[in-house]
Amino acid sequence: MMNSMNNVEFLNELVNSKFNVVKTEIINAEQMSFIVDSRDVHTLLTLLKTSGWKQLSYLSAIDWIKEDEFELVYIVFNWDRPVHIQVRTRIKRDRENASFETIIPIYPGAKYYEREVHEFFGIKFPGNPDFHKQLILENWDDMPPLLKDFDPRAYSDSHFEKRDYPEKHINLNNQESKQEKRQKRNLKSLLLRNGGKK
Amino acid sequence: MKKVNSIFTPWRLLKYLFKKPITIPFTKIFTQKNANYLNQNSIIKLNSRLDSEPREGADNIRGFHTNDWEECIGCGTCADICPTEAIFMAERLELPNEDGKLQQRPTIDYGRCCFCALCVDTCTTDSLKMSKEYIYSNSDPDAFLFMPTDTFEGQKVKEGYVKDEVSDLLDLKRVENPHELPEERKSSFVEIVRGYSKEFARLEAARCVECGVCTSACPVHMHIPQYIKAIWEDDIDGALRQVYETNPLPGVCGRVCTHNCETSCAIAVRGEAIAIRWLKRYIIDSAPDDMYENIILEPVSDVIDAKVAIVGSGPAGLGAAYYLRVMGYKVDVYEELSLAGGVMRYGIPAYRLPDTAIDKDINFIKHIGVNIKTNTRVGRDITMDQLEQDYDAVFLGTGFMKPRGLNIPGADHNRVVGAMEFLPKVREFERGNLSLEDIDVAENVVVIGGGDVAFDVARSATRLQMLKYGKSSVKLTSLENEDSLPATFDEYVEGAEEGVEFFCGNGPQEVVVENGKILGLKLWKCLCIFDEKGGFNPEFDKECEQIIEGEQIFIAIGQAPDYDYIPESIKDKISINRGKIEASIDGQVKDVPWLFVGGDILRGPDLIGGVSDGHRSAKAIDAYLYENAKKQDISDSLKAMREAVKESSPELTIRQGGKK
Repeated sequence: MMNSMNNVEFLNELVNSKFNVVKTEIINAEQMSFIVDSRDVHTLLTLLKTSGWKQLSYLSAIDWIKEDEFELVYIVFNWDRPVHIQVRTRIKRDRENASFETIIPIYPGAKYYEREVHEFFGIKFPGNPDFHKQLILENWDDMPPLLKDFDPRAYSDSHFEKRDYPEKHINLNNQESKQEKRQKRNLKSLLLRNGGKK
Repeated sequence: MKKVNSIFTPWRLLKYLFKKPITIPFTKIFTQKNANYLNQNSIIKLNSRLDSEPREGADNIRGFHTNDWEECIGCGTCADICPTEAIFMAERLELPNEDGKLQQRPTIDYGRCCFCALCVDTCTTDSLKMSKEYIYSNSDPDAFLFMPTDTFEGQKVKEGYVKDEVSDLLDLKRVENPHELPEERKSSFVEIVRGYSKEFARLEAARCVECGVCTSACPVHMHIPQYIKAIWEDDIDGALRQVYETNPLPGVCGRVCTHNCETSCAIAVRGEAIAIRWLKRYIIDSAPDDMYENIILEPVSDVIDAKVAIVGSGPAGLGAAYYLRVMGYKVDVYEELSLAGGVMRYGIPAYRLPDTAIDKDINFIKHIGVNIKTNTRVGRDITMDQLEQDYDAVFLGTGFMKPRGLNIPGADHNRVVGAMEFLPKVREFERGNLSLEDIDVAENVVVIGGGDVAFDVARSATRLQMLKYGKSSVKLTSLENEDSLPATFDEYVEGAEEGVEFFCGNGPQEVVVENGKILGLKLWKCLCIFDEKGGFNPEFDKECEQIIEGEQIFIAIGQAPDYDYIPESIKDKISINRGKIEASIDGQVKDVPWLFVGGDILRGPDLIGGVSDGHRSAKAIDAYLYENAKKQDISDSLKAMREAVKESSPELTIRQGGKK
């Protein structure tokens, strides 16, 4: 078993000597993160795979809505040198056309992860024949739900019936409701803000 | 155009009759709940199932909720944050009504819940948790809506998802409000708390979860979450209106209120309460005078031909005066001393409550037409009988301003001074009306008492000593131990910072006098203060005696009322119980219906409690006078204001002995 710090140094050397890494972060002895330009992702993943990081552990995305970008995060793992590597990259956040070339030729298992990312973020993966197929969400009919501008409350309201709360959950003990009184008072106090005018 | 379907369309559904169902029946054992359910509801009892070892949910799994009702305060923050509106606060009035708790508990609709755990992350008390149970089956859709308790389906279950420091959504640390440093402040009467800047006030306001648990603990039921939100939205104008509906002394209360709201704050369960008092002060400090014109919708005038006299211009008197004036009455306030404000003006030291803050509040009350007649003592300059003749109703809010003495040997020495004798002089010194030489403060003094007033005396004496001698020596002794002092904790901390020495848990026995000079105070260890029945009856340990040195003794063991101004003819009709006048909840005296009382003399000392008495009495006085008074045409907006005064008149809080 090799010393884990050596692994990090090894990786640092390996990646930074060959790629123009935007930012390298050593999270701890078992985790590293490389932020790279989107054009470098495939070659970097190829390098990592040939260097022993054979397992694609995860692929997900982050919606940076204010910056109008998606961040893709690939996590790969090596069973001989136990370091999780995150390969991070940013692509343009274009709701209809955001896309990124598939990595199936490097990691065939990405097939399902890419379907999941498409389902939750709407990012297309040309080269993956099935990326558009649903994987987890059954009969989803709204915008991808992990986009920051998705409104879960509105979705719930339009898709799920609101149940009337049965009496058994409410016990007023033959007293007048205090909750209603509080709500009425709060509403009035909001009107006070502009002097009672609507 | 509407598409017309063939009448055979429904037959198409027949094809599903022979299809394999999509619904996957659950026959495998996952959890104990699951096993029990199957064992109870299946006709065939499989041995493998009966003996099965159920599989436990993974660590940190977000399963069904549990909620400990003892810990839950019903703040409703979980219902507020729920992204799918799955949580509803169901009212349970059988729960005890306590300060800092609402009688409601969350009900969760698992048809909507997305198990995101935001409710757990935002829970103010940590009562709401998620268990490892994630399977539940029932053919009745209503059965998926229930109120979580500390068990799931009546069984103790293992904890699943637990929030940590990173996922906790509450900001438990108070935004610091700069204080003057002890070394600098103890040599002057400059105000200690500097007040929030806009940036800091908004940061502090952002910590509030708007649950409103505080509102019912406040004697005047201020719109606390609402004005805090207005601060966050930088709407000082709106905040000022919300404040003035329930409290005409916000600048004063923003500094010296007993802040029961903060004690009951939901954030205080796990962290530091929202600085409600300082936020209120921020509103007043940042509201320019011309903004005040907007609070009252139209200039009020005496449109009702009825006059009310108010005796005493303390919080209760001014509270009553303000609301009576807003309702359209002619109001005269009689004040014995030269400045209005009562104990605010003459009791509380300037380093806690400067004159400028009192002026700002009282000037507005004057501005709307309340007439304050200072230097006029009822009973001396004008009689009660005269008031009865000239006015339609009289409100007494004369407070507890007389020092209460201590009956121990040596207490008649002229250097044994009552708090209420000393504090008014300190304020006059601070105003420049008295010089340092006019006030007698020895180099070493002892203060008897453990309440806020005792600290006011001790800390004022420290300042005077610093100015006079350049050093301070103040000892404070109380019956209560340091951990159970009646004074607010801030007073204790700040007093200690300023060098006050504590001799708590001791009872004074004798003022040691030799050759006409005080040498010190003899103390016995106090074993207990109250007897078994809860009456005041301290017991002492004679063996544990000490004498603390000092040339002057201050007594701050409570204040007493002064009823000399009430003539015998009225005194005969009222009953006074332990210094307080007996009256109805809103202050009306039973056998003297034109007489109303409030504040200390009705309910005991509490500034904001006095304001609430004034408000209740104003409503009651209106009910008493309105029918028979001649009225001018009342405009619609004045009608609305009259209604608002009546509607916002507060109920008693639990602490004030209100309905449980």
